[in-house]
Amino acid sequence: MSYTLIISEVRRGIFEERNLDSIGLAHMLKKSVYILLPDGQYPVNERWSDVLIKTDMKEEMFSMPKNICLFIEKVIDRFKMPDEIILTHSSSGTECASYIAGYFKLPVITDVNGMDKDAKTFYKSYYSDKVYGEFSVTGQRPVVITVRSGAFRGYMEERADSPKQEIIEGVSPDSDRAFIEFVEEEKTEIDITKAEFLVSVGRGVGNKDELPAYDELTGILNATLSCSRPVVDKMWLPKARQVGQSGKTVRPKVYLAMGISGAFQHITGMKDSECIIAVNKDPEAPIFQYAHYGIVGDMNKVRDKLKELLKG
Amino acid sequence: MQEQAASRVLVCIQCGKCTGGCPESGRTPFNIRMLVRKRQFKYAIEEALPWYCTACNACTLRCPRDVKPSEIIIEIRASMVEDGNIPVTIQKALESTFVQKNPWGKPRSKRGDWAEKLNFKVPHISETEHKRLLFSCCIHAYDPRCMVIPVNVATLLNKAGYEFGILGEEECCCGNEIRRIGELGLFEELMEENIANFKEYGVQEIIALSPHCMNTMKNEYGDMGIKVVHYTEVLWSLIKEGALKTEKPLEGGIIYHDPCFLGKQNKVFEPPRDILKSLNSVDVHEFARSRDISLCCEGGGGRMFFDVEVPYQRNGEIRVTDAQKAGAHTIATACPFCLMNLEDPAKEKGIFVKDISEILMEVL
Amino acid sequence: MDIIVLTKRVPVTQEEELKIAQDGKSVDLSRVPFRMNDWDNYAVEEAVRLCEKQGGVITGVSIGDMESDEVLRRAIAMGAKDGCLIESQTVVNDPFTRALLLKGFIEKENIPFNMIFGGVQAEDDQFGVTCGILAAMLGLPFASMVIGIDDIQKDTVILRRELEGGIQERISIKTPCVLSIQSGINEPRYVSIMGIRKASKVERRYFKAEKYLDEGAGGLIDVTRWFYPPKKEGAVILQGELDDTCRQLIGILKEKGVLQ
Repeated sequence: MSYTLIISEVRRGIFEERNLDSIGLAHMLKKSVYILLPDGQYPVNERWSDVLIKTDMKEEMFSMPKNICLFIEKVIDRFKMPDEIILTHSSSGTECASYIAGYFKLPVITDVNGMDKDAKTFYKSYYSDKVYGEFSVTGQRPVVITVRSGAFRGYMEERADSPKQEIIEGVSPDSDRAFIEFVEEEKTEIDITKAEFLVSVGRGVGNKDELPAYDELTGILNATLSCSRPVVDKMWLPKARQVGQSGKTVRPKVYLAMGISGAFQHITGMKDSECIIAVNKDPEAPIFQYAHYGIVGDMNKVRDKLKELLKG
Repeated sequence: MQEQAASRVLVCIQCGKCTGGCPESGRTPFNIRMLVRKRQFKYAIEEALPWYCTACNACTLRCPRDVKPSEIIIEIRASMVEDGNIPVTIQKALESTFVQKNPWGKPRSKRGDWAEKLNFKVPHISETEHKRLLFSCCIHAYDPRCMVIPVNVATLLNKAGYEFGILGEEECCCGNEIRRIGELGLFEELMEENIANFKEYGVQEIIALSPHCMNTMKNEYGDMGIKVVHYTEVLWSLIKEGALKTEKPLEGGIIYHDPCFLGKQNKVFEPPRDILKSLNSVDVHEFARSRDISLCCEGGGGRMFFDVEVPYQRNGEIRVTDAQKAGAHTIATACPFCLMNLEDPAKEKGIFVKDISEILMEVL
Repeated sequence: MDIIVLTKRVPVTQEEELKIAQDGKSVDLSRVPFRMNDWDNYAVEEAVRLCEKQGGVITGVSIGDMESDEVLRRAIAMGAKDGCLIESQTVVNDPFTRALLLKGFIEKENIPFNMIFGGVQAEDDQFGVTCGILAAMLGLPFASMVIGIDDIQKDTVILRRELEGGIQERISIKTPCVLSIQSGINEPRYVSIMGIRKASKVERRYFKAEKYLDEGAGGLIDVTRWFYPPKKEGAVILQGELDDTCRQLIGILKEKGVLQ
């Protein structure tokens, strides 16, 4: 009976949303879906899978590469080889995927963002995402896959029945590596290069008095405030917050550029951001050529409306 | 080389003429006289200080003892470069220049793309008869704001029937700023590659679009047996000969800003002014600090890639205020760095900043 | 504290427009400049800093054609003692094969090490798995995304891994081990041209890849074709009144995972 094994990612009691892409890919492959889960109480929609395999290891140790391999050995023992082993393309997901591939001598393809319609080959980006490669598996299955976030969500289908519940117990955690603790990044000094979400203000902000409202906005959004050079030149914000050629280069998940025209010295500092959203009064502003999304409008009005919508 | 450096430093009598002419002194912690003093006694120099220098050369020009303080700055920077102890943004500019032959890190293969904006084909230098090379600065090749300048100059030369060619993607950074940053090894590599190309194609004359490129190729590339001029010199002779005619009148209110690398360092003061004066009914204002004592825009010496930690009132702002006081509404200049540095503060006061070639295109 | 650092020579493609051959079988890299993989810079720098503090020898290792010598020179200019080039004329696309090559090389040539460093991923293939596969093959513990090495004790290293959402996890790992180093762990020193010229005088050692691969050890995956991703048409301008566009914006922020 062919099946797909999903290694789930649970952190701090949350079944991470990234797992949905693993599930989506598994559903696209149209095989039975088995999900391997760590011990603990956390909400998870059971209807996404056909078989839920619970383990007795807590999430922090569960997510370690060697331990996952030990669990997979038990899974293979009990359920035979899966056709695919799917993980999220994330810090822990890719780490485990690589170790699994070396441990069991399996083919591995990471950051998969698509499949051909017959579900035989996998697509993966290359060369700064400029080119996609179509990969076929020439070695023996199972193939280990990590899935790009957001790539397969549309393929998810809830099962009609509740899944079968299985338990794997008695695996001793690997002694060569141990979890100590989680560490929040210190916010002593402003380091915009570490932020996941930057709200960046430019000349369009108008004057210094408009800035405190942006502090409030970044507070609500849990984002970090950054800016372009003219704002620093006017001494409205410190140099540490400057993005650009002579400031910092940033690569956040989201870069919200407000009132920034898109002068090339600024673009150099943020063009590799995963998602660039631009707000500018001028529809011809060059920033719109680099942004993924845009709003043509007054940045201060957008700021106020966002605050209104998020507070309410 | 070390011997020369030592003797130059020891010759300094601490008269302070250098600091007197330095665009950074007074408003920043940078004091060139003091730095030379510290070098005399081999005292430690605070890390950030050497990077303030804009390489305007005013100090070297004013020095009565030929100490060449601007070269001493380059020496200090060179040893910091070898130690790997340089500001991160400068490091990135150097690494980009090493890989892509321009400090902005833009693809080398796109260096000649500006020529595609023209409605005529610009030949490769090898295909020309007179072997006049139009050499663009990295910023001309890649910055959207400055890209109009090579396009304009090419159009003007073409209109005047003046043959020229380009290197396209074989062109690489002239190295002027790289040398002033102190990366002498990289400067050597750039210079060698450019000279090899010039020799291979039998270049006879180089028309430099940027005063920075002109400066290093004329004065620091050694004796290439090639004539190096700035484009304003060429355009002025074409206008004088009547090969390039201007028709429309231009409104008054233009003030000319002497770029350091064109003016005080290479003494090219008149051609840009002559071009402007030749345009119908244009009165050209003069700054109080003009020609040899022109106020540096603070773009040179690697300053385009580096911002000092402590903000202060930029010379650009002062220049714009002076322009306003003189009753001008447009600042004309002939250097892309001056253009970029003046335009930001100018925009806020409603003043325009235009390159000579842009003004010419308006009156053709 | 001897460290092997894996380095790779990669094409610089961030702003290039790459051309794919008509038959989709190859990508034209002839006009693209090459340099050391960005992540490897951080790995070499971290190794150099550790050895400056604790002593030890750094060996740079690279798989590639003769041009890859360039990254070994750079590693030496940054502080590595030795450079080893595993020469392979064909590009080894499959990370599994790369790991197998490295395992064979390290074991056959008896390269001493307490730790093996690599970058988190290569800029060209973006796989991010060679270090992990190698670790499992060598039977060594592995940690990826290392953003800070806090302490090195006799046979244990305390380090921090970068996770999502701005948090890190602190773990202890036994040596010898394999670590993949995340960018931002340090600021790699500038290496001047003169520095690289000096490094060129240090002899690098050259080996042939065929020596370390068993007969018939082929790759486990293969690229069947290359193609262009779906085109991006500049910014999608959100339509509607202010209330509408802001709601859409909030939706995008949630989808990207930065807003709960």
